[in-house]
Amino acid sequence: MRTVATAPSHNGATPATTTRNQANKETNPMKPTRRRAPRTAAALVALLALTATACGDDGSTSGEEGSGKGTITFWDNNGGPRTKIWKQIIAKFEDKYPDITVEYVPIPIANVQSKYDTAIQSGGDSPPDVGGVGTAYLANLVAQGALDPVTDRIGDSALKGKLIKNMVESVRAAGGDDKELYSVPTSANQGTLWYRTDLFKAAKLPAPDSWDNFYKAAEELTDKGRNKFGFTLRGGAGSIAQALDMMYAQSGIPSFWNGGDAGDGEGGEGGEGGDKTTLNDPKNVAALEKYIALFKKVTPAADLNNDFAKMVAQFDQGDIGMLQHNLGSYVDHVRLLGKDKIAGIPLPPSRQGAARTIVSNPVDGLGLFKASKNKAAAWKFIAFAASPEMNSLWNEDVGAIPANVGAADDGWIAKAPPTKAALESLNDPRTKVVQLPYYLPDWNNISKADNEPSFQKVLLGKMTAKAFCDKVAKELNAAQADWKEHQS
Amino acid sequence: MAHAVAKPPRVTRRRTGGGPARTGGPARTGGPARRLPYLLIAPAGLLMLGFIAYPMLSVLYYSLRNYNVTKPWRNGYAGLDNFTRIFTDDPQFWDTLAFSGKWVVTEVLLQLLLGLALALLVNQTFLGRGLARALVFSPWAVSGVLTTTIWMLLYNPSTGISRYLADAGIGTYGTSVLSDTGTVFWAAVVAELWRGVPFFAILLLADLQSIPRDLYEAASVDGAGRARRFRHITLPHLKDAIILSTLLRGVWEFNNVDLLYTLTGGGPAGQTTTLPLYVANTGINGHDFGYAAALTTVAFVILLFCSILYLRLSKFGGETK
Repeated sequence: MRTVATAPSHNGATPATTTRNQANKETNPMKPTRRRAPRTAAALVALLALTATACGDDGSTSGEEGSGKGTITFWDNNGGPRTKIWKQIIAKFEDKYPDITVEYVPIPIANVQSKYDTAIQSGGDSPPDVGGVGTAYLANLVAQGALDPVTDRIGDSALKGKLIKNMVESVRAAGGDDKELYSVPTSANQGTLWYRTDLFKAAKLPAPDSWDNFYKAAEELTDKGRNKFGFTLRGGAGSIAQALDMMYAQSGIPSFWNGGDAGDGEGGEGGEGGDKTTLNDPKNVAALEKYIALFKKVTPAADLNNDFAKMVAQFDQGDIGMLQHNLGSYVDHVRLLGKDKIAGIPLPPSRQGAARTIVSNPVDGLGLFKASKNKAAAWKFIAFAASPEMNSLWNEDVGAIPANVGAADDGWIAKAPPTKAALESLNDPRTKVVQLPYYLPDWNNISKADNEPSFQKVLLGKMTAKAFCDKVAKELNAAQADWKEHQS
Repeated sequence: MAHAVAKPPRVTRRRTGGGPARTGGPARTGGPARRLPYLLIAPAGLLMLGFIAYPMLSVLYYSLRNYNVTKPWRNGYAGLDNFTRIFTDDPQFWDTLAFSGKWVVTEVLLQLLLGLALALLVNQTFLGRGLARALVFSPWAVSGVLTTTIWMLLYNPSTGISRYLADAGIGTYGTSVLSDTGTVFWAAVVAELWRGVPFFAILLLADLQSIPRDLYEAASVDGAGRARRFRHITLPHLKDAIILSTLLRGVWEFNNVDLLYTLTGGGPAGQTTTLPLYVANTGINGHDFGYAAALTTVAFVILLFCSILYLRLSKFGGETK
């Protein structure tokens, strides 16, 4: 170590031999501030490095198969309405597998995607072992590398060949991977036209099984002076999904993409996977115009801000003739109105005698998270919940269509006419199913946050239906091109 | 010998009154004595680093990147692209900024005026003053989401005021002030006023009670009326409290997300979307965290600039003539 003779301290103290560092510290109190600079810089660099790696473990770690025992975490993607039935299923599972404990976490449906995103980006143990996953946001989770493929696990289990083919294909398409399935489908939903049988009977109106009957009933059941309305629509969160159901069902256009022949409205050869959407086809624009014209004329003005909960509550607690929503609200209608006052049918075909056109509703399923450290136990839970008995139990409770073919013939379906009618229409070989592009990472943005304010502008007359359809179509076409570029 | 070498510097520091050594500590080593003050403030410093510096640097870092969790293949360094997009290709930024300005000015002004009026009222002596004060201040204790729930019930066309008015023959059924573009702004303003007025009333009442009564008595003897006493005694005394409370409230109102998000969701048709609500939508619903971070950075700079300007123009802490 190099030594120096210390300079006399400024008070003239006895010089001493010491190291240069000590000399600096003791003879010049200001010196260390200069030496602090590198340390400060190092701290800042460390901080920036921490910031730069903030995403760090992004939840896409491969996890472990584990012992098949212990505790697993399950996130219910519709916590609240589904909590009771899930707790029943979990109790049965824990009876069968006493060495596995399932920690149930109910997530409100409106927040489920952001909760998953946060957990995945936080990494570590933040994501669950098993989570309820709808096809509407499946692509997002797959893009983040958060889910394990379950194709092989299904093939090696009792679920092999037991899941409804249409639902399996929907889940495969939504995941954006031609080969792998990223969730086990458990149920499907379908747009349904709900109507008040008591009001229709009193007004001597036929069931709204054609579009003419629908529009006629909407007008005749409206009496604004007495706070009675023929229809209620969804103008707030989720409005565009609802509108798409009504547009395609009326226009009869069988495909979401037309493969470049924009404007013919027939889908056809290009079909799914084409470059241009049929959303702004003149027939769809005309259908949207008819639908929008219902606002305020036969609906409450408050519909402008309706999300699904407000819309359903308004229908179930007021004097409103019809509502278009999926099967998921069946239980609420029966509970609040009584079974004898409510009926639900699939949306009518575009014209008398034509094939019915249905927009694919999200398929719900169970995903196995890649970061799980106990995948063996997690898979046991998924396989149990998707088994015929549990799948039947679950779907009977929520009024949806079961994914397990072993549950499809259960007696409760015959006693739930809306579910039965939905299942029949799905199984009808003439029915055209318009597959929405859930595989697009931008789908949720475009069909929700980015354009719901624009949809409200259309309702308010500040934007035309055509301008709205063109705007959304342009964004979808760009998203499709971007996705294809990424795939190639 | 070693002892003799080490001793003088300790004496020197004491004589010269040099900083950290004043706190004492082992005489021979000097190091621990120097470090002690820094150790004492280290927890606060670490907290500031963790809770202020790190989030701010993190936002700044992401503002310079494309960062969308649903399209990880597009993520990467973006330079100033996000900022360029804000200023040249995002009309929604300007719309929401303009609405934020309108919202802040309207809310702060009305809350100040009503809060001052209430503070002056409950500063008087009257029967039941304690109860009146409790009632005036109670909305401040209610959370934003609960406030929304209360006002949504009041505004609900089926169960709220308009339904009862329609039953009484006033107005029509189905009137929804939150769905009408002509009424939604003022409906939201009223709900926020209900919560915000007590903040000003509490602060200003506290300051009012510190004004010496002698001043009012002397002014009365000199013939000053109620209005002149208010103008020349009360207002000057309240000046600093008013500046500070309006600044604080202005920042809070600018950043208001809870009430508007739950009451109107920023609608209808984006008419009540503030800049922070736009940021939340872009990040949480749109997953575009890079762009949301850039919007946040711009909002931060705007708030900082406005706050400094306001304090300078209002001469906060200065002498009142």
